[in-house]
Amino acid sequence: MRGLRQKFLWFLWAVCLNAAVRTLAADAVGVAFFEQKIRPALVAHCYECHSDQAKKIKGGLRLDSHAGWRVGGDGGTAALVPGKPEESLLIRAVQHLDDDLAMPPKKPKLPDAVIADLVTWVKMGAPDPRDGAPVEAKRADKSWWSLQPLGAADAVVAAGSVAIDHYVEAGLQAKGLALNPPADARTLIRRMSYDVTGLPPTAAAVAAFAVVYRAEPERAVTELADTLLASPAYGERWGRHWLDVVRFGESNGFERNFLINDLWPFRDYVIRSLNDDKPFNQFIVEHLAGDVLGKNRPETEVGSAFLVAGPYDDVGNQDVAARKNIRAATLDDLITATSGAFLGMTINCARCHHHKFDPIPTEDYYRLRAAFEGVTHGRRVVASAEERAAFKSATGPLNEQRTKWVAERAVLEREVTRRAKEAAGQVVATRPKVNPELTEERFEPVGVRAVKLVMSASTANPKSATGSRIVEFEAWSAGEGSRNVALASHGARAEGAKSAVAEDFPEAYGAHLAIDGRFGEQWFIGDPAALTVRFAKTETIDRVSFRNAKGLMIEDKAQGATPTDYAIQVSADGETWRTVASSAGREPWSEAHGIERARPEVTTPVEARQLAAVSAEIANVDRALKAVPPLREIWAGKYAQPEEKTFVHKGGDPLKPGDGVVPASPTMVDRALPSFALEADAPEGERRRALGEWIVRDDHPLTPRVLANRVWQYHFGTGIVDTPSDFGFLGGRPTHPELLDYLARRLVTAGWRLKPLHREILLSRTYRQSGAHRADAARIDQEARLLWRFPPRRLGAEELRDTMLHVADKLDSKMGGPGFRLYKFTQNNVCTYFPLDRHGPETYRRSVYHQNARASVVDVLNDFDLPDIAFAAPRRANTTTPLQALTLLNHSFTTDMAQAIAVRLERGGAAASAQIDEAYGLAFQREPTVAERAAAGRLIATHGLAAFCRALLNMNELIYLD
Amino acid sequence: MTGAPFELARRQFLGRMTTGLAGVALARLLRADLLGAAGGGVLPHFPAKAKRVLQIFCPGGASHVDLWDHKPMLEKFHGTPLPGGDAEVTFQGKNGNLMRSPWDFAPAGRSGKMISTLLPHMARHVDDMAFVHSMTSRSNTHGPGCIAMNTGFAREGFPSAGAWISHGLGTLNENLPTFVALQDIRGEPPNGKANWGNGFLPAQHQAVVLAAHQPLRNLARPGNISEAEEAATRAFLARANAGHAEAHPGNSELRARIAAYELAARMQLAAPEVSDLSREPAHVHALYGTNDANALKASYARNCLLSRRLLEQGVRYVSLYCASRASSVDGLLNWDAHKTLKADYERHAPIFDQPTAALLADMKQRGLLADTLVIWCSEFGRMPTHQEGTAGRDHNPDAFTTWFMGAGVKGGVSHGATDDFGRRSVQDVATVYDFYATVLHLLGVDHERLTYYHNGSNRRLTDVHGHVLKGLLS
Repeated sequence: MRGLRQKFLWFLWAVCLNAAVRTLAADAVGVAFFEQKIRPALVAHCYECHSDQAKKIKGGLRLDSHAGWRVGGDGGTAALVPGKPEESLLIRAVQHLDDDLAMPPKKPKLPDAVIADLVTWVKMGAPDPRDGAPVEAKRADKSWWSLQPLGAADAVVAAGSVAIDHYVEAGLQAKGLALNPPADARTLIRRMSYDVTGLPPTAAAVAAFAVVYRAEPERAVTELADTLLASPAYGERWGRHWLDVVRFGESNGFERNFLINDLWPFRDYVIRSLNDDKPFNQFIVEHLAGDVLGKNRPETEVGSAFLVAGPYDDVGNQDVAARKNIRAATLDDLITATSGAFLGMTINCARCHHHKFDPIPTEDYYRLRAAFEGVTHGRRVVASAEERAAFKSATGPLNEQRTKWVAERAVLEREVTRRAKEAAGQVVATRPKVNPELTEERFEPVGVRAVKLVMSASTANPKSATGSRIVEFEAWSAGEGSRNVALASHGARAEGAKSAVAEDFPEAYGAHLAIDGRFGEQWFIGDPAALTVRFAKTETIDRVSFRNAKGLMIEDKAQGATPTDYAIQVSADGETWRTVASSAGREPWSEAHGIERARPEVTTPVEARQLAAVSAEIANVDRALKAVPPLREIWAGKYAQPEEKTFVHKGGDPLKPGDGVVPASPTMVDRALPSFALEADAPEGERRRALGEWIVRDDHPLTPRVLANRVWQYHFGTGIVDTPSDFGFLGGRPTHPELLDYLARRLVTAGWRLKPLHREILLSRTYRQSGAHRADAARIDQEARLLWRFPPRRLGAEELRDTMLHVADKLDSKMGGPGFRLYKFTQNNVCTYFPLDRHGPETYRRSVYHQNARASVVDVLNDFDLPDIAFAAPRRANTTTPLQALTLLNHSFTTDMAQAIAVRLERGGAAASAQIDEAYGLAFQREPTVAERAAAGRLIATHGLAAFCRALLNMNELIYLD
Repeated sequence: MTGAPFELARRQFLGRMTTGLAGVALARLLRADLLGAAGGGVLPHFPAKAKRVLQIFCPGGASHVDLWDHKPMLEKFHGTPLPGGDAEVTFQGKNGNLMRSPWDFAPAGRSGKMISTLLPHMARHVDDMAFVHSMTSRSNTHGPGCIAMNTGFAREGFPSAGAWISHGLGTLNENLPTFVALQDIRGEPPNGKANWGNGFLPAQHQAVVLAAHQPLRNLARPGNISEAEEAATRAFLARANAGHAEAHPGNSELRARIAAYELAARMQLAAPEVSDLSREPAHVHALYGTNDANALKASYARNCLLSRRLLEQGVRYVSLYCASRASSVDGLLNWDAHKTLKADYERHAPIFDQPTAALLADMKQRGLLADTLVIWCSEFGRMPTHQEGTAGRDHNPDAFTTWFMGAGVKGGVSHGATDDFGRRSVQDVATVYDFYATVLHLLGVDHERLTYYHNGSNRRLTDVHGHVLKGLLS
């Protein structure tokens, strides 16, 4: 049932895709026809599922009003094309023209007469008088507010901060509200400093500002804004915002979740671009096609690391269908990130069907996919032409030398190998080759405390046994009732290096697995390849055996390589060893093994010297090569011309290809600005470049609005649209549409630079007003969306941590480079992340430089709403939880910082009351009150300065801003 | 003070706060302080059978045909090709012939349900269990499969069922977390923390990680701080925050943060108490096997016992893991028996069997099953064939078993079935959406009405799917 209905809808919308919606005047004849023939038919056959009478409206399609079929169902376009019955899917459905498309479902076809009436009606232009009862708009069409061109400015208002105040005050006045008076100097400089740089001002800066602000507030605020915007800390603060928007994370997520250690150049690029006030239109195109625009210019090229900065599944899969689904999910991340970050549209919702709420047909989704079809995750060299040339000139001669020496060695070895092969051919094996399932050696009974298996080759490598595996090693007592005395359960102990580790499961892969009496787990042999088994007491043994497979149900094959060449040594005292058996005489595992065995005997002393000399030369060259700094690799993605054309996936299923699509612009704004469409086989890079250039057109209705709204949101806590990456039907509506359009226009006219926009906002009276609460205003506008006050806020995760470091005078202001980690991680097939209990000084950098791994919870950051970066986080949550209190009270980071502040306060050797004053100055940039000073004094007197500092770091005044 | 704007603000505030740990206290605080009126949530939608949930998760793809889903034909046609399976390529590649389970199945309970003899203790509970034998998954890979089983989506970023339930129903004990994940001592399950994340729900809905071997982080005050210093520091802090809040009327978050500190202090008392297994008598320890010679079993047994104590104290959703992630050796750390099924499951099953059965018996005996729902799951099943060249089984997302037990569940029944060999679910095929539609139903929640707006969609735990498996309901 459901499948059928879905198919119906799919066909319905696929065929009607570009149907124009005509507004119809229902003339008298038409209305009469409708009332006589059509309404009764619709009521009788369709209303059960497609009207108010339906328990659940099927497919979102309503046929009980004109608007219902005009707006269409979940697919997004009209169900009828007036005048064109053959293009009207409703008609095709009742005609059962397509197998999958038969309405009403599970019922006989409608009478021919009814169908004929419906066809006639559509030919007439589908006159429908039921406009009196339109359904409430339940989805957006192309007339949706955010898809319209930017509105013009109010003629009366000049550009600049006054314009901002003009629009905000207009909104307030309409509700009988007004702006608060200006904030006091301390509040304002704290607000601006955190807002622009993410750090508090110093007490001295506050004092200086207060003096100027009192006399010349305009000058004071202007100078402050300019100083802050010029600070490199601006890029660190606003770069962090942008990294949230573009779902930047430094591990791949999913099952393996390995760390990506060479994506930080993108983070630095973002910070640098913001500090340089790089035009955002350029910035965005670089995100999509930096490699195309800036070939051999790393500064630009690194931008397209955006594409591969999201999570993706890298677990190999032999199942073809699963592989296609994984690839589809990988590209879905790119499409979701692109449409959300730049366009503020959820085009990703159109992956399986037409968007349910916005005018985005599923084809649009696949048009974007076509642009990204050639992108895969990975690293590549990103270097300038000069760097490449320098590298080539440094390594070229060395590589030539190496080639020469390697050739020389090959000549020498060829001769030795020839003789070794000959010699190996002469050797007559007296025993069969080793058997991975059981290899046994017998010898004269000997009383020993320990036995050793020294291995020199394996089935996989004639030159070394390291990396091969043993399931079980046994040593058998001589005489009757022979038993395995090497068992751990008999008190034996095994020693031996292992070649694999699982840090969070230290027992894995160890030598003890070779004597555990069980056949499930293997010892992964390390380097040196030797197993020593010490017995509980002296044992007389005459036989040892080892195996790499045992007694399983159907097929009993060894997993991994098995040792092939070995010596068995025994020791009576546990210190001196003698060999009692070896693989000598066994048939070699392979010809190569035989040659390796014979090689030492046939090499002449002269040859040995020559070989050693040549090997030394090669080692020298290798050292020199290693000394040349390699060209930098960055996790910037790999790009290749797609082998296949892009198709719509029916129902989102990559195994059900639909119509082909070409790389092209999505159609939702095609009334507002020109579209583009490339050939299906357009060059890979051109696809991304064309998309980027289309996104940043000056006349784009979405991109400037979305970006201006983000800027506003980060200044005021909430955007003019409160769903910053969703300007569609389910998103918020703008509280100040004219203001939003004004800001968007300003952004474009300022050459897509953010700093002029920041400046206008910071200098506005709206921004500079106090955050004081007014009960009367709150009754009308509780959330202050109209901005009758400046909305107070809690510090974000990074701000809080940076503030603690800053107050403690521990903040290392070094910019850029590889990030630091507040977690330990282990890697054994998959990565596991453990938050650190102690943070060393090497981590005392700004939090933007933390290497945020996906699905790793670092208490001091994630507790305070640093999001996991599975998705973009265009607006952070703001929670208040007891876990925050526990972390901030008890984590050693707090006690370390409290201790550091105490040391800082003691440095001056001042009296206790002066220390308290200084502490309030550091943390809050104000003096304590008399009562506060007294209370702090009592706490310090009894429990010391650090106790007071720990309280300071937990105070609401530290974490909340006015 | 009860005008419309305040009412609106209250709802927004409660909407944000009440479902967190701080919820009840803050709601009470707000009621007393701001409103003087009782607030009421919209959930549950209808009377609930279950108040809380115990989820037991055996990661790695626990084999349905070796544990729960008896397939006589598999025994009969052992060693012959799977009909129609010639060209089947699954996760790790090609498959060999049909392979019978190394363990016999035997009838158990009054219902006579056939259960693997590998699980003698669990077999005692079959009359209380309702099996879903026809599960299917959308992923054949552990990580995405696990999160799909926990969140309904095979990619990261979506809230786990426990987070949804925390969001929808809130806490039963304000002094303890609402949602607790007990990971195995061997490590995290595939895809790690994403299995119990809050996704796009507010952070307070994520699970708190806690286990017998792993105390709640940052719970204890630093070692060098005396009780007296702690008290004096907190008193100073409380006074400072009170003064600050007074100077900032109209910012209810300030009060919320003060309340959060008070709650934290109560958690510091409640959490160690609930985690203190030494309060349990020796016979209970013996029942679970907490002192077993097998250290892995003993550790899991302690987590079983801790789970019961958490549930008893009002933790809403407990996720208990038995085994962990993938390793360089398939099937070493979890139920992923690609190559050596017999050896692997002879290692894993004894760890799981007795402690889990003891937990269920203990809960039943204490009456906890009357209002606690128990669900058992894995991310997918395994092939009825052996993997080419091995004595193990490859992943099988087309068929696996889960089961329900406890509040509102009809015992001794089975929903759906796989084909003759257990290769595919063929009768009354079920999905993770049906699974959670049923879980939510038992909690009194209509799965279609538990929604949260995120980036353009009103998201659900059950996406746009899900039907309550009515046959399992008592």
